[in-house]
Amino acid sequence: MTPSVHRENARENAREDPEPGSARTTAARRWFVASLGVAVAALVAIGGFNAYVDPFQQYRIPGPYPARYYTSLHRYIAPGLVKNATYDTLLSGSSIVENTRNSAILRACKGAGLNVAMPALTAREQALLVSTALAAKPLTRAILVLDFNEFSGAPDERNPLAGPIPLYFYDRNPLNDFPYLLSWGVLVKSWRIVHGDRSDRFRTDADAPWWWAGERRFGRDEVVKKLDPRNLNAQFQQPPRELAGMQESFRRNLRPMFISYQRTEFVLVWPPYSIVAWGDFVQRRQLDLTLDFKRWVFETTRGLPNVRVIDLQAVAEITHDLDRYTDLYHFAPSVNDWLVEEACGERFRVRRDNVDAFLDDLRRQALAFDPRKLGGN
Amino acid sequence: MLFNSYEYLIWFLPGTLVVFFLLGRRPFAAQVWLTVASLFFYGWWNPWHLPLILGSIAFNFGIARLLQPGPARAVLAFGVAANLALLGVFKYADFFLVNAAHLVGDAPPLLHLALPLGISFFTFTQIAYLVDVYRRKAQEPLLANYALFVTFFPHLLAGPILHHSEMMPQFADTSNKRPQWPNLAAGAFLLTIGLVKKVLIADTFAPIADAGFGAPATLSAPAAWLAVLAYTMQIYFDFSGYTDMALGAARLFNIKMPINFNSPYRATDIRDFWHRWHITLSRFLREYLYIPLGGNRGSDARTAANILATFFLGGLWHGAAWTFVIWGLLHGLAMVVFRAWNRIGRPLPREVGWALTFAFVMVTWVFFRATSLDAALAMLQAMAGMNAAPALPALAWLGEVATRLGAALTLPPAWTLVAPAIGLLIVWRRANSNALTMRFQPGFANAAFVALALPICVLQLARVTPFLYFNF
Repeated sequence: MTPSVHRENARENAREDPEPGSARTTAARRWFVASLGVAVAALVAIGGFNAYVDPFQQYRIPGPYPARYYTSLHRYIAPGLVKNATYDTLLSGSSIVENTRNSAILRACKGAGLNVAMPALTAREQALLVSTALAAKPLTRAILVLDFNEFSGAPDERNPLAGPIPLYFYDRNPLNDFPYLLSWGVLVKSWRIVHGDRSDRFRTDADAPWWWAGERRFGRDEVVKKLDPRNLNAQFQQPPRELAGMQESFRRNLRPMFISYQRTEFVLVWPPYSIVAWGDFVQRRQLDLTLDFKRWVFETTRGLPNVRVIDLQAVAEITHDLDRYTDLYHFAPSVNDWLVEEACGERFRVRRDNVDAFLDDLRRQALAFDPRKLGGN
Repeated sequence: MLFNSYEYLIWFLPGTLVVFFLLGRRPFAAQVWLTVASLFFYGWWNPWHLPLILGSIAFNFGIARLLQPGPARAVLAFGVAANLALLGVFKYADFFLVNAAHLVGDAPPLLHLALPLGISFFTFTQIAYLVDVYRRKAQEPLLANYALFVTFFPHLLAGPILHHSEMMPQFADTSNKRPQWPNLAAGAFLLTIGLVKKVLIADTFAPIADAGFGAPATLSAPAAWLAVLAYTMQIYFDFSGYTDMALGAARLFNIKMPINFNSPYRATDIRDFWHRWHITLSRFLREYLYIPLGGNRGSDARTAANILATFFLGGLWHGAAWTFVIWGLLHGLAMVVFRAWNRIGRPLPREVGWALTFAFVMVTWVFFRATSLDAALAMLQAMAGMNAAPALPALAWLGEVATRLGAALTLPPAWTLVAPAIGLLIVWRRANSNALTMRFQPGFANAAFVALALPICVLQLARVTPFLYFNF
């Protein structure tokens, strides 16, 4: 400590212990009450304003202003939707189901639908969101579109691209909502909503909140131009998977929901990736592992009466028609509509007597696919 | 629980304070409440570490009782060794195992133990207490008092490292169990300064430093220097901001803790720097290591060896990695050179001394921040302009980082440039938080500062970033 600090310290100590009621005490009390009072009042006002505008729809739907579905803030908005929207059929999946309209779910499944797709979804996040929905209200049906990548890595792994997950939204405890109510970013959004400022990127269509199909082209040329036939994984650079890890992730994340909520029907859907994706699995020697995992999922859920498995991955008229795709995974809205129709139907349901046929057919198609015939880069 | 978290600022701190003063007429109850609240604070992240700190407290209290009838060197040695063993197992075991494996060529299984928060701080605090009891400078007959001394939440996780004698009289003073408005006002003022330092300044520097240290091979020389300067500012504002919040919170409870920083970047020589940076650690190392080793009482060579040993262990205390060891040794070496230069009797001009000291401290932070020796060398290489093909010129690189940060904070990118300028101004020109608090008189300007800054900081907390010193 420097001498000047010692001197200051001694001077301050000489001012210690003022008498209660002394001028110094009174001034300090007024200062404390006024400064902290203003600060607390400002925070209460901001928290109240954010709660009223509720930009992420956490407290009520509809809110006082038209809802904004912010691009890439799925993880902030979806928990509010599952808690507050009116629906009885939930659709959960990755970016491949973002182009599904809620009205399409209603048409296909005869129940009010809610699409809560999340890009770069992992099994842990899927379980977290669906559990939040189930804890909030009884559901007739939960359609879980399964993506092999969501089971990659450790059971609680998250994709670093996905940004932070605001766990305080995924419960019913309003006392931990301070990061929402007292956030500068949320305040800016509330302010912009009230003033009609449209600086943020968002959609307002509650029927198709996550729709991106209008911004992409679909077609064989579009798919092929991004591909390297010698390395089909170059575009998305998916990590290698490992069967035991995928099984553990499924066991830890999804299976407990099926057992805890037996009145809800869980529909597990294997989505129709393009045949190119299966060619990629062959190239990366992931085909057997992937098919083994599919079989295991069926076997491990077979005894659960509230679980159905739907397999759309061997439907060649869809998966071989690259005009329906924008890349090897993502398909056009018409395929999304077909997916929910089949999810609520029986045509492609996996049963004991057809599981081998589904898998053998898929294996045959995958092995027969020749990426060199695609053209491309 | 972090000091810069909603749960701490919104309910833990106010709630603990209100109940403490409500219990003020029953001082023992107030003290027990403060201890329980501190343990809750400690266990917030990982309750499984509570038995560890409780066991450590009970053990050290028992050892101190054995020392009280009469100094017993063997008992002291046992107590200190046990504390060091605890630290060794949790913090250094894997480091030693890895290095042993390099030597003998056989890789033993690593322990992978989670590092309990604040273990370096509460262990050193208790070692100091045992030594003080042995030296007849401290004595504590009540376990409840001792537990509060160790666990008092403002200092528990990242210091300052306290002496029993400077805290216990304050805890024992019953008048401190009643609200004292001047202390409440000064405490709130200091806490707000700390919050501003951490949330508005340190966290603004962090992405610049992270971007630079994350990819040193892509940096041009000026960009590398910018990244290191950003880290130099970040670590100061982060740690000193944390300390201000700790001192401010303690002051609300009428407890004055020793200062830990005194404008270290204004130091004009390396010894001056260590009188200003992490002051209570320097004090600990001097009193309990350097002086017992012999200090400067022997030959020059012996003194130099003592300095190097002290800084070697000081570096290792910060983390179980060779980067910290090298950082400590470099500072030790600088102290030795400084002593030798002083002997010549030709002091440098003040400005030159300041510039040399600041540049040295800044460059050595590279070892402190880098995740490995290779990463540190890569950054030094970038600073020397030896990167073959830098990705972007320095200003373009900073502009890119600023744009990304601005988007993340919903603030204009210019803030990223304004905040460092404010930071540099504070570091070099403005009165520091100790001086401001000592001179504190309730007035409109400081009331307006708290009324404005506190809500602004709270609104920025949603992007919670851990305090750097929790790693140590």
